[in-house]
Amino acid sequence: MTDTDTKLDPVLISVMANRLDGIVREMTNTLLRSARSAVISSARDFSCCLVTGDDQLLAPAEGLPVHIFGCHIQTANMRKYHGDDIKRGDAYLDNDPYGGNTHPADHTFMVPVFFEGEHLFTAVSKCHMADIGNSIPSSYFVMAKDVYEEGALVFPGVRIQRDFENIEDIMRMCRARIRVPDQWYGDYLAGLGSARIAERRLEAFCEKYGKETVKAFFKEWFNYSERRMVDNIKRLPKASLVNKGRSDPLIGVLPDGLELTVKVDIDPDEAEIHIDLSDNPPSVDVGLNTSLGAATSAVVGAVFNALDKDLPRNEGAFRRLKFTYAEDSVVAAPTFPHSCSVATTNVSERLVNITQSAFAQLGDGMGLSEGGAGLGAGMAVISGNDASRGGEPYVNRLMLSTNGGPASPVADGWVNYAIPVIAGLMYRDSVEVDELKHPIRVESLGIVTDSSGAGRRRGAPAQQIEYGPTDAPMMAVISCDGQHTPPRGVVGGHDGTAGETWQIEDGVQSERLPNVIQLKLDPGQRVRGRDSSGGGYGDPLDRELERVTVDVLEGWETREKARDIYGVIFTGEIDDETLEPDVAATEARRAEIREARA
Amino acid sequence: MGYRISVDTGGTFTDMVLVDEEGNFNIGKALTTPERISEGMFSALEVVAEAAGKTARDLLAETDILIYGTTRATNAVVTKATARTAFLTTTGFRDILVLKEGGKHGPHDYSYDYPQPYIPRRHTFEIDERIGSAGEVVRELDEAKARQVIETLKERKFEAVSVSLLWCIANNAHELRLGELIEEIMPGVPYTLSHQLAPILREYRRASATSIDASLKPLMQAHLRGMQSDLLEAGFSGDLLVSTSVGGCQEVETLVERPINTLKSGPAMAPVAGRAYSAVENMGGDVIVCDTGGTTFDVGLVRDGQLVYSRDSWLGPQWLGDIIGASTVDVRSIGAGGGSIAWQDPGGLLRVGPQSAGSVPGPACYGNGGNEPTVTDAALVLGYIDPDYFNGGRLSLDRAAAERVIGDFGKVIGKSPDETAHAIMVIANELMIKAIGEITVNDGLNPRESVIVAGGGAAGFNIMPIARELGCDTVILPKTASALSACGMQYSSIVFEATRSRFTASNEFDIEGVNNALAEIESELLEFKDSLATAAGAATTIEFFVEARYKAQVWELDTALPKQRLDGPADVEAITESFHQTHERVHAVRDEGSPVECVNWKGRISIQPFSPPPAPDATTISQNPAPDETRSCFFGGTERVSTPVFRGDNLATGDEVQGPAIIQEATTTIVVYPDMSARLSAAGDYILDCS
Repeated sequence: MTDTDTKLDPVLISVMANRLDGIVREMTNTLLRSARSAVISSARDFSCCLVTGDDQLLAPAEGLPVHIFGCHIQTANMRKYHGDDIKRGDAYLDNDPYGGNTHPADHTFMVPVFFEGEHLFTAVSKCHMADIGNSIPSSYFVMAKDVYEEGALVFPGVRIQRDFENIEDIMRMCRARIRVPDQWYGDYLAGLGSARIAERRLEAFCEKYGKETVKAFFKEWFNYSERRMVDNIKRLPKASLVNKGRSDPLIGVLPDGLELTVKVDIDPDEAEIHIDLSDNPPSVDVGLNTSLGAATSAVVGAVFNALDKDLPRNEGAFRRLKFTYAEDSVVAAPTFPHSCSVATTNVSERLVNITQSAFAQLGDGMGLSEGGAGLGAGMAVISGNDASRGGEPYVNRLMLSTNGGPASPVADGWVNYAIPVIAGLMYRDSVEVDELKHPIRVESLGIVTDSSGAGRRRGAPAQQIEYGPTDAPMMAVISCDGQHTPPRGVVGGHDGTAGETWQIEDGVQSERLPNVIQLKLDPGQRVRGRDSSGGGYGDPLDRELERVTVDVLEGWETREKARDIYGVIFTGEIDDETLEPDVAATEARRAEIREARA
Repeated sequence: MGYRISVDTGGTFTDMVLVDEEGNFNIGKALTTPERISEGMFSALEVVAEAAGKTARDLLAETDILIYGTTRATNAVVTKATARTAFLTTTGFRDILVLKEGGKHGPHDYSYDYPQPYIPRRHTFEIDERIGSAGEVVRELDEAKARQVIETLKERKFEAVSVSLLWCIANNAHELRLGELIEEIMPGVPYTLSHQLAPILREYRRASATSIDASLKPLMQAHLRGMQSDLLEAGFSGDLLVSTSVGGCQEVETLVERPINTLKSGPAMAPVAGRAYSAVENMGGDVIVCDTGGTTFDVGLVRDGQLVYSRDSWLGPQWLGDIIGASTVDVRSIGAGGGSIAWQDPGGLLRVGPQSAGSVPGPACYGNGGNEPTVTDAALVLGYIDPDYFNGGRLSLDRAAAERVIGDFGKVIGKSPDETAHAIMVIANELMIKAIGEITVNDGLNPRESVIVAGGGAAGFNIMPIARELGCDTVILPKTASALSACGMQYSSIVFEATRSRFTASNEFDIEGVNNALAEIESELLEFKDSLATAAGAATTIEFFVEARYKAQVWELDTALPKQRLDGPADVEAITESFHQTHERVHAVRDEGSPVECVNWKGRISIQPFSPPPAPDATTISQNPAPDETRSCFFGGTERVSTPVFRGDNLATGDEVQGPAIIQEATTTIVVYPDMSARLSAAGDYILDCS
């Protein structure tokens, strides 16, 4: 981009930033409302953003934190692969985890936007597809030895439209390999439609303001965003934080899981945060490897969790974040042909938790506890044939029950959290909608009393679900990383509880199942899954009586846990609304617990 | 024919509109009296009676119809003053109201708690039963246990009961039986069955609607019947109607059975007014209706002469509050208005709101200790407001205070006071432009082909530049702009909706099943009409809609049905094509290859017991009036401009005012920006030309 010395009026900068934000919101709304698969339309597993023509992230939507980083690498590759042969009316598809993308399930649609012959923007929508032609009926394949066993069709910056028309070769390839191809095509239309809407709006935007003003705006907006970041980092203490965590074991492959390390150096003098991801194990022969895009997004998202909530997230802000990566690592540096099939979840979830809780080392008031992790039975990918619809095949990811969110210094955990990389943004499926769309029946779904990580602020509780097929066998692919190492509490808060999976037959509960499993269920058989809960923040003995009272009244926590962990003694009964904390007895009980600790 | 009165009781003001036999509108305003609403109403009545030269009692005696709009239900929900209500649901699903549908604002914001459910978990009881998705009984209703539960409710003195079972929309037998048991065991205690109130797919929405409705029944029954008897005592013997969230009105006896329909009824009436004003001025059927108050800016739409509805309406913030579930007129609200505060963020950019000075302390110029620069202060500094003639001279403003806070803030952002005030207006405009942009693109309405109807006391400061930015050439700003909702009631019909859930798809369409559903809906609508005393002989229209989507989509779009029954495949094709068009308009793509799934069927009956006043003669003679005074104003650029100021009551029909100019009405001020103009129409509306 040519440098320009035009100094824009700050009011104009606000107005232009607002217009671009409006465009991204319109993209997001279009995609959400018109997508076919539940993973996009309900679980919101997609993001829209605008990148400048020279590949700087300009405006992200309020999309999943795990999609924040990397689109600019994908647009750069698009330009590298196609050189001068990019023009108005083109669209490109990229899902290459070795080219900036998160993981192959995230099909990224890129539409270059031209004005007066110059490529000024690329509109990007990234959508997690329900199926991508993997060798198993799930877009998450934990056990994939390498990309070949994983089996995903990979499109490294491939042109899919010219002159606004589909390139049918590519459509045929997708239809030939992707399960339930009409569903994929519907999602393709939604993703592309969203980027095309942005194109229309951006052309009008450029028409209104003119090319030079738009370019001057880019510069000024990045500088503004950088100033916000500088201001925020300068208010943090200088510190070097090291935090570790562990992923769940994989039977026969990684018996101890993976030990993961994140180092965070906060330098308020230089107004920089340095994130070192290099101290992590080498690539592994399963689908857990995290791409550069996914791992960086995970930690960047977690850093933003610890900063002001309304900071712009773009190239300008990212200038103040520095990264160190290993040469070959499961974290951000996989080596080909290792599989990154589950790059956005399992290890990435742990990276979010490790990073956000590292900030709690700065002391009370900073950082977050760890949030509930893992795609359990309530978020499984289910597939089979629907006898009531003539044996028609189906495949979809459920979003019925979710993990509990982390506690912060000021708020209890968010109940509908899903997983750390989704952070509560998704919609839940309706039980009725899922039962209508697929031949399944849900027996029960609810929160688990006493499951929260206790604290001055408690984690959100776990949820538990039980469901199975109605009239034909069903496959449930569960790729959960949250059943062995529970989410940790911070600053004196207690750990959350880990998830579990069981099979139910004739009302009898089986032995606990492995955390990663492809479970085939016949009619009459059920899967029961419990998700994990969030860790607590701060000492549970400091939790206000009013909050504990509501917890007990509402059955989030029992009276026993209130007594044993929170040190709160009650009189009266819940049923007749006479329950009240006994202040004197509580003070005595809390003193007793404190004494026992000392 | 006698008088017709409409009353809109807001949080602060009670607005009253009196329409006489000739169709003249008179507005009265009084402070709302939350303890006994009728007191505030009678104060407003005194104002209009005085103008009509009558006593309030005589006026009321000569009134045929009184339409009453109330925020009573909304306030009760917000202040948690509703009845002690029990929630009954299918065993295994007691957390439906806790788990909601997900969604959260701010992926990095962990500063707020997860909301409590509308009905506490401890007031939630499981009923042993289960219906399947095809309506089959998976598990019979355990009556013995159900009796025990209801006995418990009686013992614990619950005042209302909400019943919402899974798949009751496919088979209502279990809900009906529970209704019978409640009547038997707890006679007189009001209850709501979800399949009757909101027979829609999705258990959370249905349960939320049902629970809100049940919890309002004791209170709203008392309130509406109390209002009825207060009016009777005051000499009123006409028909009392109550305005509803679908932009219509209802008889008291209908609403006490469905009090949820009074929620958000005030804002729902603004688009009704907008539609009527656009029709009177011959400005077409696509209307953007904006209502600017002190703290919020509301936007609603009219498309092709039809109100736009939503099932995504929340009490309280989206996702954090409680979904209403029933369909309501789609009105979006953002925190921007005259009281919004300007500030500078750490990166050096100017921001406006969402913090507001509210009415206490209010903007600095109110002189009540407000010390931060607000939009109203900016308007005063720019010369748009006459400090001695604000709100008809009833509130005198402190110009020095406004100049001080704007001047101080100017030093922070490095601009002159005029530039600072102008910048605040520009940013405030921007928030409103975005709000309008979102609702219009959401619904596929093009602002360039629409007219804006602006209301609310603060609308006139900036509606012209907002319209120009949106590419919208014309704004209608009625003289009655400050009471838009109460005016809307004067144009409203009695509206009632009936819904059935009948799932089918275009490739295997169940014509008979759908016709049965439509027949059920129609007979429910006609039965409703027959039950109304006011409806006899009134003009009536019935429309049918389907909530449809492409196969496997999750979110439906409302699509109008071309006819009342389907005769064969050609009609199915017509529905399918109508859906393709709607989808293309809203989402920019159509998928010819995909089956269209039809989920919920809806019928809406509109009964017009009174006809709107006749449109006045539209021919006017254009003339240029002389200004009453001039004032120095700032509109951007470098210099202040000597600006003519016109008193609204000195302007005559057909008068044209070229910008820059200020038009001062008693309760609103219109800023006519340079290169724009305003004209007073025969109907008494200001037609603002922003092209």
